[in-house]
Order: sequence, then C-alpha cells, then structure tokens
Amino acid sequence: MRKKGLYLLLLPGVLFLTLFMVIPIAMTIASTFFHEGSFTLQGYMQFLTDKYFVKILLTTLQVSLVTTIACIVLGFPAAYYISKLGPRKKGILLALAIFPLLTSSVVRSFSWMIILGKKGLLNSSLLSIGLIDKPLEILYTPTAMMIGLIHLFLPLIIITLVGVMENIDPDLIKAAESLGASKFTAFRQVIVPLSVPGLIIGSILVFVGSLTAYTTPALLGGKQRVISTFLYQNAITLNDWYMASVIATIMIVITFVVIFFMNKLATKLNPKG
Amino acid sequence: MALLALENVSVAYDNQYILQNFNLNIEKGQLISLLGPSGCGKTTTLRLIAGFLEAKDGRFLFDGKDYTRVPVNKRNFGFVFQSYALFPHLSVFDNVAFGLRLRKVNEAEVKQRVLRILEVVSLGGFEKRFPKELSGGQRQRVAIARALVISPDLLLFDEPLSNLDANLRINMRVEIRRIQQELGITTVYVSHDQEECFSISDQVAIMNKGIIEQLDDPATIFKYPKTEFIARFIGFTNFIDFAERSETNGEIGLRVGGHEFVAAKNPGTASPMSKKCAMRPDDLLVTTEEADQAGMNRLHGSVKVSTFLGRSYQYVVETELGDFTVNQEMETPYRSGQKVNLLFPKDKMVLVD
Amino acid sequence: MQEKNRGLALFTLLVFLFLLGPLIIISFTSFEPGSVLKFPPEGFSLRWYENIFNVEMFMTTFQTSMIVSLLGNLLALLLGIPAAYALSRFQFRGKGLLNGIFISPVLIPGIVMGFAMLKYVIVVYHLPIYAGLLVGHTVLMLPFIIRVIASSLSNFDFAIEEAALSLGAGRLETFFKVVLPNIRSGIIAAILIAFLESFNNVDISVFMTGPGVSTLPIQMLTYVENNFDPTIAAISVVLMMITAILMFVIERLMGLSYFTKR
Repeated sequence: MRKKGLYLLLLPGVLFLTLFMVIPIAMTIASTFFHEGSFTLQGYMQFLTDKYFVKILLTTLQVSLVTTIACIVLGFPAAYYISKLGPRKKGILLALAIFPLLTSSVVRSFSWMIILGKKGLLNSSLLSIGLIDKPLEILYTPTAMMIGLIHLFLPLIIITLVGVMENIDPDLIKAAESLGASKFTAFRQVIVPLSVPGLIIGSILVFVGSLTAYTTPALLGGKQRVISTFLYQNAITLNDWYMASVIATIMIVITFVVIFFMNKLATKLNPKG
Repeated sequence: MALLALENVSVAYDNQYILQNFNLNIEKGQLISLLGPSGCGKTTTLRLIAGFLEAKDGRFLFDGKDYTRVPVNKRNFGFVFQSYALFPHLSVFDNVAFGLRLRKVNEAEVKQRVLRILEVVSLGGFEKRFPKELSGGQRQRVAIARALVISPDLLLFDEPLSNLDANLRINMRVEIRRIQQELGITTVYVSHDQEECFSISDQVAIMNKGIIEQLDDPATIFKYPKTEFIARFIGFTNFIDFAERSETNGEIGLRVGGHEFVAAKNPGTASPMSKKCAMRPDDLLVTTEEADQAGMNRLHGSVKVSTFLGRSYQYVVETELGDFTVNQEMETPYRSGQKVNLLFPKDKMVLVD
Repeated sequence: MQEKNRGLALFTLLVFLFLLGPLIIISFTSFEPGSVLKFPPEGFSLRWYENIFNVEMFMTTFQTSMIVSLLGNLLALLLGIPAAYALSRFQFRGKGLLNGIFISPVLIPGIVMGFAMLKYVIVVYHLPIYAGLLVGHTVLMLPFIIRVIASSLSNFDFAIEEAALSLGAGRLETFFKVVLPNIRSGIIAAILIAFLESFNNVDISVFMTGPGVSTLPIQMLTYVENNFDPTIAAISVVLMMITAILMFVIERLMGLSYFTKR
C-alpha cells in the first residue's frame, strides 16, 4: 500500500521529465550517430577537423578558464572578508552579492554595453582625461565577453565560498596563531585548505556556466562565436540541425566530464578526507 | 483474556528481521514498559502497535478484534512522541482539539473536553500559547493531553522523557503514572532508562535483539533477573560461571575449579538447571578477617584497584575466579595490592540463565 | 573583536563596485532625456519609462513571460511538491537516481535543453510554440521547486505527521492540515525563486519563439540589436526593482542561506 502511494507521488514528475527532457536530450545525442539511416561519426570528424570549429571550441574553453581564474582571484579574498564580518554586515554584503545573481542576464550584459561601447563610459572617461586619443575597441571582443562573464559568475563563487568559510571554526585560526603562525600563514595553512571543497564546487559552477552561457557572448561577443552561440547559429540561422545536435552533444560531454573530474578532485583534495 | 495480543509477529527492513515470531500480551488497565538498549526492537514493537509499521507475518489482536491491517488513523490509540511532535502552527488549544475535531465533536463539547484535560495535565490557562512559547515539560504535557483527550483505547509513549532534564524527568514520570492510574487507561511505555520504567510500571518487558527476555513486575526483575543480559542491564556486575550444580536441604551447591559455593534457594526466575550466579557490587563484602562467617561463601584475592565513590569505596578484587567489583562503606580503605577475603552472602547469589 | 584588515576591506569594496557599478550606471542612464544612452545623463526624464508602454512588443512579451512563468510555476508545484515530499519522507531503492533526474535540468546546459526541446517538443511532438514554452519553463523550474521545498521539509519533524495520523487524520488530510501549513514559507520561497529563474530565462525561450510568441528577455535581446535608446535601461530598472522586492520576500521567508549552500 505504501509502495503504491510512493509511486503515485513520484510518477507525474518523472513522466513529465522523461517526456520533455530525458527523451529529447537522449534522442538529440543518439541522432548524432546516425546520418541518413546508418551509423556514423561523420559529424564529430567534421567538427574536430574543421579549423573554424576547433577554434571556437578552444576560444570557449580559454574564455571559460580565464573567467574561472579571475572569479577565484577576485572572489576568494572578498569571500574571506565577508565570512569574518558580523552577522548584520555579512547579511547585507551577501544580499548585495545575491542581487545581481537574481537579476536578468540581459540586463547585466546590457549594462556592460553602456560601459564598454565605443562612446561608452570607459572610453569617454579615458578620452577626457587624455589617457587615450582614440576610443578602445573593447565591446564585441572576447575581452568584453570575459568581463561580462566574470561579472555574471563572480557572485556565485563569492556566496559559495562564504557558505563554506563561515562554517570554519574561527578558533582554528586562533589555535594556529597560538602555535606561532602569522595571520597570513594561518590563512594559507588553515583557511585555504579547508575552503578547497567550496572552491572546487564554485569553480565548477563558474567554468560550466561560462562554457554554456548564451546571453553574454551573444550581446558582448560581437562576431566572435563561442560554442553556445555557435549552436544557436547552426540550429536557427543555418538550420543545420545535425551539426547543432553534434555541438549539443559535445557541450553535454564537456559539462559532465568537467563535473565528474572536478568532483573527483574535490574528494581527493578534501582535507577532511 | 488479554486486551492486546501480538501473536507471532515479524517485522523486517530490507530482509533483515527486527522482530521475528514475537509475542506479547497486555492486560486491561496496566502500564507495561518495554525496556532495553537501542536496537533491541522496543520502538519497533511500539510503532507496530500504533500502526506506523505493518507486520510482515503474524496477527495483532486488540479487544478480541483483528487490528493487523487497521490503519493507524482508525485505531483510536493515543501516541506520545519523544520529540513531542506538537503542531507548531496551532495553539495549545487547537493542538489538543485536533483529534476531537477530526471526530466531528461539536465545538461546545470540544471546548469543554480540551479545557478539562488541560486541567488534568496542570496546564489550565495555557490554551492560547503556541508550542514554541512553552518549556519542554509543558510541551510534553500538551502532547499527553492531546493523546488523552480523544479517550484512546490504548496510550503509547515513545521515550517521552528523554528530552527533559533530570529533575523534570522525575516529576513527569510521577505525573504520567498519576494520570494513567486516575484514568485507568492501558498504556505501553518505551524507554531505555531502567529507573524510569521500574518506577512507573505494573509490568516491565526487557527486550534484547528482538525478543522479550523477561516480562515481570519491576520488583521481581530487580531482585531476580532471569538472564545474564538482564542482570548486567540492571546493575549486576559480578558473575561466576559454575561447572556443577546440586541441590540439598533447600540449598544449592555450586562447584567450579576446586571452589565450592552455596546459594540459598530463592524464588528466582532462571531455569532450574542454571549454573551461573550474578551478584551486585553492593552485596559482596571485602574483609581481612580470616574467620568463617555463617551464611557466607569465601574467596581469597587481592585488591587491584581502589576508587572513592563519595559515600563508599569501590574495589576491584582479583581472584582465581576472575575480577569482582565491590562497593563498601568504611572509614579506612584497603590499599591496592592488599590481600583480602571476598565474602559472598548465600542469599545474594542470584542464579541466572 | 573584529580584526581590521584595511587592504582586504578595500579589495572587497572594489569587487562590489565591479558587481554593482554597472547596475547603478544603467539605472542612471534610464533617466536620460535624449535618445542616446549617456552616462552621466544630461537631465532627468521619465520619457523612456513611458516608451515601454508605447512599444507594443514589450507589453505583449511581458504578458507572455508572466503567463508562462506563473502557469509553469503552478505546473511545477503540482509535479514538484509530491515528488519533494516523497524524496524527503521515504527511504526507498532508486532514490538517488530519482533525485538525480529531478535535479538534472540544472546540470544540462540551458542552450542544449532549449535546442533539444525545439527539436522534439515542438517538431516531433507537434506542440504549439506557446505550449512548448510553458513545458520548457516547467522543466526549468522543477529542480528549484523540489530543492527549496525539500530543504524546507528537511527541517520538518515527521513525527508531527505521525501525531496527526494517530489522532485519526487520513494521509491526505494530514498533508494539508499539518505538513503544508508548516512548510508554507518554503513553498512561497520556492515559487519566487523559480519565478525569477523562469522570468529571466533566455537559453530555452530563445528557441521557442514564433509568430507572435516571445518572452520579454528575448524581446529585449532583439531590441538591443537594433536600437540603442534608453528604453532597455528603463525596463532594466523595472526588472531590478521586481527582483529586489522578490529577493526581500525570500530573505524574510527563509533567509539567504539557500543561496550559500551547495
């Protein structure tokens, strides 16, 4: 009797997801191995041998990597500072970090168009103080894309790290200091290793997020394609659904490989074993 | 005929039996405790009676009717939870009225019955409070009132006092016993605290690994535990496993490794063949005198450890038959290493299985 | 005692300037009286806020976004509450797998999900675009609904449910009278979080546009490609205000710890 009730509770959701997510995704992946009725790896061969495609993939990975590193470099110290604040100040700063996260990515990318544009805030400021004599071409370049992505994902790594760091017993630092460690040594030898699991989870979120983000590259990247905009281009503009499916499969594979290996790494590096 | 009977009941999780061919009978109006270490199956038994669990095999009879497949909400049993399980979103009044309203009792009667039962648990005037505004003891009273107000056919307690501090625990158990006797309601009470169980119960069932090792009134169990497990559980720390047993003149002769002991024949609960003796640390004596004393068995040994307990000293005495623990009041204690005689009063040697 | 570390404080201040500065700038530019985005604005005008109402596409796509997010939310609740309850309440074989399935929509790249849905939900299943949009957003919201409600159920003492049963309530009655009232704030928070995810979504919606059907974020993307007047800035301010209000309510209901836990 209990079993039946359990199935009744779970069945609607499972059916819905199977029908509208599992089957479409599975079929999309499966379809890449069949072209005109027979098994083939032609799509993948084509992707991996075409210099243009490979370059898009490499650019995407490069942009994602730089974004992730920048987010760690900027986010880690900020998160540490926030985690040591009193509850009221911590709450306010966390709220200020979460707010952009909940704000539309269109709005956030658009705000960088105002700043980085040819007549944007940055160029007009630099021109007016005479640092440059002609406007910098930043908007619609990979750099703009990276700035937008860092802006998009920095809050994510900050709040993830704060969540981990605020659970580190503050007495550990005091203990380390009482044993003769300087503030910086205590930070490096206590806080950093204990933050590693959070750091890895945060890095996964940022890396995978940058890898698959669509809005920011579409708005700020100009003609520079990344893998997600390339997927969209193939699917909608070029109407090449076979190639789009191949790209989709590659994105899924990269995502899962990254998650899998980073999780392994997290388990391995977790100082608590 | 018993009011409640579990007949050859089995309960299993993931093909692992918690209870197997389990039997229990409870008489009307009694308070029976299920006592035992965690994992002994006492809570499983209680949840089975309540109807939160279904038996894999066997029958559950209540008042002559088969209750095995009756769902929990049709049983009319009151259940008092360890965590109190008060409805956080309802006032004390609405918590207690919950069961009555489900029974479609008219609102005037609901009010009257709720207020009366709150008086019984000494919580008059608390109706408008919410659970989070109450102390632990008050919450427990609300939980008891909530279970009682529906005039349950059976009252079930699952470690109801374990979240309270020591003093409150003693007050509450007196209270529970008073209410139970006042209302004459049949009650099953689960606890791992032996003092708690012994103080409030008509009968105590001591459980171990899914079976009842002994079901007796508290005084009998306290004096004459049936098995070594029970003896250890209720504070017997000394055991001698004898090799031979004989009976003469209403006394029992026991022998092991050249040592001869005599135990008084008392109304013990162990089987007539048992050769194991259990003794409490308070019942043994340590002496340096060599003269024989009437009614005493004697064993040579030396003091291994001596610790101060406040009112008395505790000695661990090393002998040929192993170490024995003795609590003894005295002015000047024995020293470690001192040669002593250990005395075993005949009537304090309890035979166990 | 708070240990002072001026360098770190300054660094954090700059990080937050980077995070919030662009959003502040966009807010200022929305009041620009001229027709070209400028910072600082050359005056104060609300004409671009008025213009939102004059561009019909903004009004219709806003309406679509609202309908899809709210209706999808309702669907996701109907599917998600029972599932979250079952996953939190019972131990059973295959639970890990089911947990995985219910959370997977957040793991699969949104753009991939959008494309796969276009390919199957619209083309193979022949669902109208509007319905496809609704289905896509329901799938998108489901993991958020389940996660937030499950976390709120994890604080719920299920003995309370057993207490109601022992007092004579049926299972369904128990759920509505005892469980639901005690996870109410979790459910409202789940609704709001899922709403924001859905309302701001681009990745799935971008594939589900058709004649007369599009969502507000997609319409904004299209508008930006062709115009550079401050209307988008004005809409952005409106959206940020909605976000701030919803976030405030979420914080009141369950604090912000949901966001920091992973």
